[in-house]
Amino acid sequence: MTKKNQTIWYKMGNIDYRWLYVLSLIGFILPVLQPLGLPVQVSSGTIGYYDAIDKLPAGSVVAVSFGASAQLLDEQEAQFLATWKILFQRDLKVLFYCPSQDGSLLLQNELGKQVIPESYGKKYGVDYVVLGYAPLGEAGEASMSINIRGVYKADWNNKPLDELPMMKDINAAKDIDLLIYFYTSCTDIEFPIRQWVTPYKMPTIVATLGCCGPMAVPYFPTQIQGFLSGSGMGTELEVHGKVPGPGALMSDAKNIGILPFLAFFVLGNLSYLGKRFKWGEVKTP
Amino acid sequence: MIIIAITGILMVAAYFIPWAPLQGVKGVMTSWIVVISAATVAMGFVYMTTSQYKLYQKNRSTLQLVYTVTPYVFFAGFLISALAYPGGSNSPEYRWWFTNIYSNVGATIYAIMYFTLASSAYRTFRVSSMEAIALIAGGMIYTLRQIPLFQVYIPWIVPLGEWFLLVPNTGGGRGAVIAAALAALVVGIRTLWGKEVTLEVSG
Repeated sequence: MTKKNQTIWYKMGNIDYRWLYVLSLIGFILPVLQPLGLPVQVSSGTIGYYDAIDKLPAGSVVAVSFGASAQLLDEQEAQFLATWKILFQRDLKVLFYCPSQDGSLLLQNELGKQVIPESYGKKYGVDYVVLGYAPLGEAGEASMSINIRGVYKADWNNKPLDELPMMKDINAAKDIDLLIYFYTSCTDIEFPIRQWVTPYKMPTIVATLGCCGPMAVPYFPTQIQGFLSGSGMGTELEVHGKVPGPGALMSDAKNIGILPFLAFFVLGNLSYLGKRFKWGEVKTP
Repeated sequence: MIIIAITGILMVAAYFIPWAPLQGVKGVMTSWIVVISAATVAMGFVYMTTSQYKLYQKNRSTLQLVYTVTPYVFFAGFLISALAYPGGSNSPEYRWWFTNIYSNVGATIYAIMYFTLASSAYRTFRVSSMEAIALIAGGMIYTLRQIPLFQVYIPWIVPLGEWFLLVPNTGGGRGAVIAAALAALVVGIRTLWGKEVTLEVSG
């Protein structure tokens, strides 16, 4: 072993990365066992998201494009549970439709169990309707905005839309007052922008993964009035909307779990800079 | 090529002209796209079968056979549970498969990705250029801003993280979106004109 390999600069860059795994796991598990309960600062995206719902007049129609993913539930569960609670607390008509099959199954698993519309005095078919899954994509969103019955003839229980009292006067973008767009593929932000916002000036708010937030922000606050990005902002919505949920626990776990990664990342780069300035080494591993 | 050009022109016209017959055509065509999208699932199944068969031809080991057969076992499981029980994909049986297998396997893959990404970033991501420094600085500050621990003990990280998100990120993002839109416009015009090379090759 050379003298160079004994220096702190080399050691910092050559820590066995399995330590990172162990420390991360501890960081993920500890807050689950002992929640931190730290205060949360609410960001402008969350405030805009909440206000877009809160300022709707009574009787407004809200369309929820529910494209959440089962695999990434930890990122979005807090968002959608808080959103549903806020929606059902108000005198609004809520129309759910699912551009992903995951969304449809998640609705079946969570709506009526985690959030029970009937406990808010809501009645299926009168105050809210679920349309189930259709492989929509951008073209499907365009189709929905023109003619909902062209895409969905019936709700998720195969009941024709015309038999549902709420759907009597709802069939296109002109009948909807707010679009809430849940998605997990970062570039999908452009679907509602192109098919709902630009042609119909539809007030729109979006909820997505933590990594997709920066791609939604360029449209805020002009095209979209608010956005949620990851479980962190889901927690912010829980706090701001006073609707407690699972967000705080998930955020704590992820936030503490990522700390070892950040620490290792800094160490790796300190090692690189040390070697570069001390010995002129510029080669990256 | 003619079909693509006519379809494209009709859709562009329908976007800009609020004339009822054109809107009707747009409505029908977009409904067709939903049907075509659903049909591509069947195409994907064919491609997967071809690919799996080729892989097995290259490596005729027992392990490879297990890898080849496993997706079909689960495919059959999901298909049978969706077709054989009342309610289809809304049936409790299908939801059992979805909740207990699909969701958990998917979540596990994402969880494993965290460890592989984190360790590879530690070993390879270095501040070796101005672009890398900017990326790391922005990423670190945005990440730290999300963590309540730092929000409490370093409160100035919150406005700084917001500023990174809302100013440089928005500026860069809007530039990228505009550039991509202009490029898509050029490709669209070339397609309508029948000049798009990719279509000539495949067509």
